[in-house]
Formats: sequence, structure tokens, C-alpha cells
Amino acid sequence: MIWVEILSRHRDITARVRIASPEVRIGRGYDNDVIVDDPYVAARHLRVFRDEAGQLVAEDMGSVNGTFLDGGKSRLARIIVDGTKPIRIGQTDLRFRAINHEVERERVARPERGMLPFLGAAALGCVTLGIYMLKVWLTQTSEPRVSTYLTPSLTIIATVLVWAGLWALLSRIFSGRSRFLRHLLIVLVGAFALSLYSEFAQVSAFAWTWPTASTYQYVAIWSILAAMCFFHLREVGPARLWLKGAIVTTVLVTVIAAQTLQQSEAFSDSGRQNTTRLLMPPSFRAVPFRDENAFFGDIAGLKAKLDRDRSQARPVEAGR
Amino acid sequence: MIVSISSVARALRLILTIGALIGGSALAAPGPASVAEGIYASAPPRLLQIRTLVADAGRQISIGSGFLVSADGLAITNYHVVSQVALEPKTYRLEYVAADGSHGDVSLLGVDLPNDLAIVRLDKHDAPFFTFDKSAMEGGLLKGERLYSMGNPLDLGFTIIEGTYNGLVEHSYNDRVHFSGALNPGMSGGPTVNGEGLVVGINVATRRGGQLVSFLVPARFAATLLQSAREHETAPDLRAEIARQLTAWGAALYKSLGEEGFRSTVLGPYRTPETIAPWFNCWANTNAGATPKPRANINSTNCSSDTGLFVASDLNTGAIQINHSYVKTVDLNQFQFATYLTQLSQPRLVGGGPFRKWYTPERCHEDFVSAAPVQDHPPLRVIWCAQAYREFEGLYDVALIAVTQDHSSEGLVSRLSLQAVGYVDAIALGKRFLEAVQITK
Repeated sequence: MIWVEILSRHRDITARVRIASPEVRIGRGYDNDVIVDDPYVAARHLRVFRDEAGQLVAEDMGSVNGTFLDGGKSRLARIIVDGTKPIRIGQTDLRFRAINHEVERERVARPERGMLPFLGAAALGCVTLGIYMLKVWLTQTSEPRVSTYLTPSLTIIATVLVWAGLWALLSRIFSGRSRFLRHLLIVLVGAFALSLYSEFAQVSAFAWTWPTASTYQYVAIWSILAAMCFFHLREVGPARLWLKGAIVTTVLVTVIAAQTLQQSEAFSDSGRQNTTRLLMPPSFRAVPFRDENAFFGDIAGLKAKLDRDRSQARPVEAGR
Repeated sequence: MIVSISSVARALRLILTIGALIGGSALAAPGPASVAEGIYASAPPRLLQIRTLVADAGRQISIGSGFLVSADGLAITNYHVVSQVALEPKTYRLEYVAADGSHGDVSLLGVDLPNDLAIVRLDKHDAPFFTFDKSAMEGGLLKGERLYSMGNPLDLGFTIIEGTYNGLVEHSYNDRVHFSGALNPGMSGGPTVNGEGLVVGINVATRRGGQLVSFLVPARFAATLLQSAREHETAPDLRAEIARQLTAWGAALYKSLGEEGFRSTVLGPYRTPETIAPWFNCWANTNAGATPKPRANINSTNCSSDTGLFVASDLNTGAIQINHSYVKTVDLNQFQFATYLTQLSQPRLVGGGPFRKWYTPERCHEDFVSAAPVQDHPPLRVIWCAQAYREFEGLYDVALIAVTQDHSSEGLVSRLSLQAVGYVDAIALGKRFLEAVQITK
């Protein structure tokens, strides 16, 4: 007895035929056991039978286009069938299996985790939203209004849900399961990381007088977004992770380069840095006060940079 | 706001001046109106309209006035009337048009940037010319004296305007005569004469938003410029000359600011430096009456200098500003209060012209700073931003902002901004400024 499986281009099984006789004939003609509606297949194309040694053998019956083993470039007149590698005739992939073909072991189902992931997602969401609300409150210098809290928080909630939903949809399409909760957790962890980083950048700009983290905040934001996308893609399908990683990294590098270029062009157009010089409560200061003379010494050092800028600007002016 | 008369709209309109009457015949004529009539009658051969032309197109881009001051064709006008030719001699050229319609080439001999004057030579000889009033140059004019200003306002034709001498402008760094008369765009560079037809000043500017408040450059500066043009007949490299004059003017200005010094005034629990120089205008500001009720009270003083200098049609520079704001929270917590101070303390470097043409990119430095002795001085967060002038070696615009760090619910934001300053001068002034921010005992 032989099972004949006709595969799609994605290697899903589109049809499976059970043949009771010891030999199977395959082709486009109606005198075959299995009919393949592929114009590149001969009317009588392939014969599968057991040879003297008892192995399953596929034999080309004189087709014009030939018979190939999975991925192979050379046509073969006779192939020993192992049941795993598909055989291509025309543009159709076929697989032949005997009834004693070994299947994978039964997978062990993971124990039910109950409400834990739900609670985790809810807690993380609340914390992230809470941090955001706290920030709004601490920077509120005009009259307090409910809408300054409500509108952005609703926007954030909607964005997170739509983002996770879209990824869940992709998962459903490509892997059959939506895994909404996992996607939601990825978004929430990303949002939490984003808000932590922005706090860190602001505090370091004031407390340590180290504005670099704030100036290059966009690099961190894009990196976090890229990491989120990578984990989403992994949930969609765990195959070819290195390729997905490479794509995400390429996009990330391109975006960061583009934004760096755009910022440096904006700076050379306006001559102004696009950063706010943040103040915080004096108790946040983490470095000692500089002596006045040392500070003015630093400032005197700026003159060399300004003069260098001037000498670089000159050649442009010379054309006037 | 003082505007150059020529700087309305895009075209500079110079005044075509009408020549003044010389001699006593006008005064001898009967009736009070005859003085103006007499002056007007004899002025035209001495007056010029000076046009700036685009060299390639041969069409005027701006017009103004000027007047002859010698028999060999030297004439005085405003610097801002001829600034395009001075800065871009390849793109623009000058032409005069006399009252009788004759016209010819004009060459620029010299400029006096601080006093907005220029001297030019025409190919016109043996024409009558104006002479300067000696007694006015020595300060002999009396307030209330009748003066007659001439020009071609808005290119409507030669006009004579009667007005009053009101002395020198107070609170002005550069000497300017306050003339109560209706100067209009197009009269720049024209002469203002006394009843005898002698030049006492040159029309230069008017105050926007005022009524009949106009300004003249005192005649003595024109006489000096004429003198120096006679001594150096060769035309200098004007662009370099303008840079030299601007640098010298800036150095003198900041030397003078340093010498006048600061006095300390009390603002909340702090002492703040306030300049003693008379050429500053100071105003107080408060948000006490604002609606909705402010969540932090601001009391501030703003002092700005009356030292703006016309360098090009798109560059005015030389302004100095000193600003202190004392802020005390009403119901803001310390984080909200810090945000409030953040908004007040952004380093806005205000250039006097378009950035890409005149300035290099800004460079900033910020840090926590304490001045000795510690018990007198509040700890500060200081931001210093500076940009250099592309073409004027050794000149910079600087902004210095200091925010006190001794309390979390009240603070002082002090700001010093200097335009067209030398870097060493800026550091010296900045240091004095920071040291003068003190705690009251």
C-alpha cells in the first residue's frame, strides 16, 4: 500500500491519495491512478513500485520535462523514494510514503497557565501608563485639566491594542494562531523600555550634565522598536530567524542613518540644536559644582570651535 | 523701534533732497513762510537722488537722497542708502539723478558705519553745494529752533518739511538729533538745514509707532567723513573697512559697558546686576494680574540697549539685553516648578539677520557653577551659547543664562545677551555678571 501526497509550493499537503495496489501510475492522462493537472506533466509520467529489494522506486516513463529530486537540477530516470524529500514532475511536488513511514512523536502539551499572562500584561500596561501619567502631572505648569490626561492615555491604549492586533493578524495568516497575548506583552515591554529610557535621558542631561543620551534619543527609540519588531516576527513564525534579524537590523540602520542625516541638515540650515535644555529640581544634581574660573575656562575653549566653524564657512562666502 | 527711513518695504528709498537756500536773501524776504520758500528755491541744484541699480539689469532696486558738499563733486548720503553697493560691488552700482533730470555715475569713497553715513563722488563739477553749520557742530543749537528737512518722500517729488530741533536723543549710545518733523521713507541721506540754509544734520531714521519723532545724524560726523575722504583719495576695500569699523565700534561699546559698570538691585532674596550705562531702557514685568491665575509668580526686569546698528539691509546688530526674572511657586510642586523654569531659561540666541548668511552654528556649554565666596553667591546652573559672524573676524553673539539652584520652589533666571562682541570681552562681562548675582543677607 502506498500513500501519494501532492504538495503545494509552500509544502502544505493539498491532496493525499491511498493506493492499495503495489504500483502507482501518475500523469495527466485518465489511465493513471493519480491524475496531476499540470500542463508540464506528461500523460504518462511516473511509475512508483517496489523493486526486488523491496524499496519504493519512482521511475520516469519517458516524459519530455523529466523528473527531479527536491531542489535538484539534474533529471533522474530512477529515484529511490525515502518518503521525506519531495519529487518534482513538471511544476508539481509529490511525496510517496509507505504505511510503515515513521511519524514524529506526540508533542507534550504545556501545562495551563491560567490567568497569569493576563495579569502580567494588565500589570505591565498599568505601570507603563502610570509612568506616563506621572510625567504629564510633573510637567504640568498650566491649569490642570482632565483632558490632558485622558486624551493621551486613550490614544496610547488604542495604539498599543491596534499594534498588537495587527501582529496577531499576521500571526493568524502565516502560522495559523494569533497569539494576541504574546504580541501584547511584547508591545508593553517595548513601551515600558521606551518610557524608562526617556526618563534616563532627561535625568542624565541635567544631573550629570550629559546631554548625549537625550540628543541621540532617537537611536534608542528606533532600536527598541526594531527589537519589538524582531520579537513579533519570531512569534509570527520561528523559521529563518537569522534572515528576519538581518532585515530588521538593515531597516534599523537605514532609519537611524536617515534621521541622523536629516538632523545634521536641519542643524546646518538653522544653526540651532533642536534640544530643550531641561531643568529639574536642584536635588537631582549628581555632580559637584564647578568652580567659576574652571567653567569660564571651558567656555574659552569653545572659541576655537567657533573660529573653526568660521573658517569652514568662509569658502561658501567667497563665491558671493 | 527705530527704523531707517529707507528700510520700508523691500526697496530702500533714499531721499532726493532739495537744496537749501544760502545767504540772507531768504531771511530778508517778507512773511514767515518765506524762509521755507527761500530755502526750497535754492536747494535743487545741490540735491541728489541716489539710486542703487542692479548692475546687470540697469534698473534701480532702491533709491535715497544725498547732497553735494564740495565743488569737485563730493556728496554725503546715508550708509544704509548705499550699503548694497558697499557690500556687493559686483552686483550693484550707484547712479545719481539731479533735480534737473541729469544723471551720472557715482563712486563710493568711504563709509561711517556707526553714524550711518557715506561719502560718494559724482562726475559733476562746479555745482553749488551745501556747507555745514559751524555753530551747530559745536552744540550751539537751541531747543525749539526751526529746521527744514529736505528729500523725496516715497519718491513723490522734492519736498521740504518744517520741524523742530529737540536736542540730542537721550538714552542713545550713538549721537542722534531728535527732530520733530515728518520724515518719510525716501528722505534718507537728505540734509536738514537751519533758517540760513546751513546743514545741521542728515536725515536718518524715524520711530515706528511715534508721531513726528525723527532722527538726524549730527553734521559734525559728516564733516569728519568729508575731511577723511579728502585725505585718502584712494577708495578702500569697503567690505574690509566695514568689518574694521564694526569691530572697533563693538570693542568701544563693550568697553564702555564695562566701564559704566553694574549696580546691584534687589529682586526677591537675590541681588541682581543692573547696568548703570544711560543708554539702556529698562522695564519691569509681572504676571500678577494674569488670567487664569498663574501657578508661579514672575517678577522680571528687562533692560535693552539703544545700540542697534545697521550693517546690511538684512543685518542689524549690536543690541545688548539684560534680563532677570524672579520666580516663586504658588502651587507648583518642585518638578512642575523646574519645568516652569525650563521654559524661561531656554538659550535663545537672537541673531540680527538670517543665520546662513551671517552666522556660524551656535555652540553651547552648560554646567553647575558656584562663585566664591559661597555664602554670598547662590549655586547656579549656567548655559552659555555663542555663534560667530562668518565675515567679521573676532565678533560673536553670546547668550548667558544662569538659574539659581539654592531652592526648589523659587529661583532667579538671569540672562545676558550680547551681539557683536569680542570673545574675551564677552567672557569678562559674563564673569562679572555671574559674580554680581548674589544672595541678600
